[in-house]
Amino acid sequence: MRDMSGLTEESGRRESVLIVDDDVINRAILSHIFSPHYHIREAEDGRAGLREILRGPDELCAVLLDVVMPEMDGLEVVRRLHAAGMLEKLPVFLITAEASDGVVKEAYGLGVIDVITKPVVPYVVERRVQSVIELFQARRRLSQTVETQQERLLKQQGMLLAQTRQMVRLSQGMVESLAAAIEFRSEESGNHVRRISDITRKLLLDTELGQGLRRSDVRQIALASVLHDVGKIAVPDAILNKPGRLTAEEFEIMKTHTVQGERLLERIPQLHEHPAYRYAVDIARHHHERWDGRGYPDGLKGEEISVWAQVVSLADVYDALSCKRVYKDAFPRQRVLEMIRDGECGVFNPKLLECFFSVEEELSGLYGKEGPA
Amino acid sequence: MNEAWRDRLEAAGLDTAQALERMMGSEALLERLLDKFLEDGNFAALTAALEAGDAAGAVQAAHTLKGVCGNLSMTELYRLFTRQVEALRGGDLDGARTMMGEISPAYQAVTAAIRGREDAGR
Repeated sequence: MRDMSGLTEESGRRESVLIVDDDVINRAILSHIFSPHYHIREAEDGRAGLREILRGPDELCAVLLDVVMPEMDGLEVVRRLHAAGMLEKLPVFLITAEASDGVVKEAYGLGVIDVITKPVVPYVVERRVQSVIELFQARRRLSQTVETQQERLLKQQGMLLAQTRQMVRLSQGMVESLAAAIEFRSEESGNHVRRISDITRKLLLDTELGQGLRRSDVRQIALASVLHDVGKIAVPDAILNKPGRLTAEEFEIMKTHTVQGERLLERIPQLHEHPAYRYAVDIARHHHERWDGRGYPDGLKGEEISVWAQVVSLADVYDALSCKRVYKDAFPRQRVLEMIRDGECGVFNPKLLECFFSVEEELSGLYGKEGPA
Repeated sequence: MNEAWRDRLEAAGLDTAQALERMMGSEALLERLLDKFLEDGNFAALTAALEAGDAAGAVQAAHTLKGVCGNLSMTELYRLFTRQVEALRGGDLDGARTMMGEISPAYQAVTAAIRGREDAGR
């Protein structure tokens, strides 16, 4: 007889043969044949057999099933297993003293793997059952291999996704460091752009200004707001960091930071694919436009200015007034609000102002240390 | 398994060589299962079912006996139970009852032969 000890090891947990027969003698004979190679489980009738199968189908490598039994006959067990879709994974053998054509036909139709007649001939039963067990084991190994390959593919997809996310973070990081570089150069507080971003996000999320915008849009706009002053990179230090008032000529140069910002962003092709790009370009160019058309560079009026550009311009003014700059000290909070309401820094959309004042109390919390005093 | 007992079993219609082959050469298993056969309640159930006219009970018992006798290579009983099951499946309850005239003596002969193990002096 072949040594099949290796087989049971390979089959892992699947190492039991279930014998379902109402007669103890028949069970004993089958058990004697298979016990050298497999764990043997026994059930005395169809119902008990079905229960045993359902309790741990993964532990079984084959079921040897008598047909005529009390409680539930073998064919009924097969019908139930078929209905549960279990016959594809678990080979079931009918072992019967008489196999009428009808029974055999139905059994095979339902998915029984083989019909073996009693009295059994040991080496025949052994050979037939073991061949099938080996076949099923080979099939499982094969499908496991396929599963492993699928897992590997999934893992690769996961890595690609992670890389994409990393690239998004990277470009976000690049955007932020670009903005930080500009700020340092203009000797403004390193927190300026972060506050502009926070104020912009709050006005769009917590007031009706954000109507029609998705959360993801707001996230992109808040990111884009960080780049509003990117064009200042093209403004000479002498003007950018001049402590006193700018001359008319100097102011004209200063104003070009809007157009320069747009141009700069346009020149970075990788940015064009970024969802924040279209907002960044618009904000860079138009964050000094005013509601009455007296802003720059295009003198846009009212609704011609996008909501996000309007929000960022107000945030920019609010932050500039609330903090100390090279050309001025920080104004007290009440004075800041007065200047904004009275249009001392240009006219804003009345609705924008209304929304702004409704959340300003919370916004002032951003200036815990720096002001407004 | 001594010669005398083996001869008695053979005489009662049990093919000992075939039976041993089915036990994969284990005399101990054969002896154990023959003892089990003595305890088996199916013959009594068959007799009762036939007397009561319980066709379903009769076919169940006869069928089981057919399988067991086949597995124990009780060739004569196997042949008789096979015929009886056929009769019962065909709805011939009377025919099945009549067959008991042949089956009962054969069954007694086999059980007596199994019990004769002690007499045969192992």
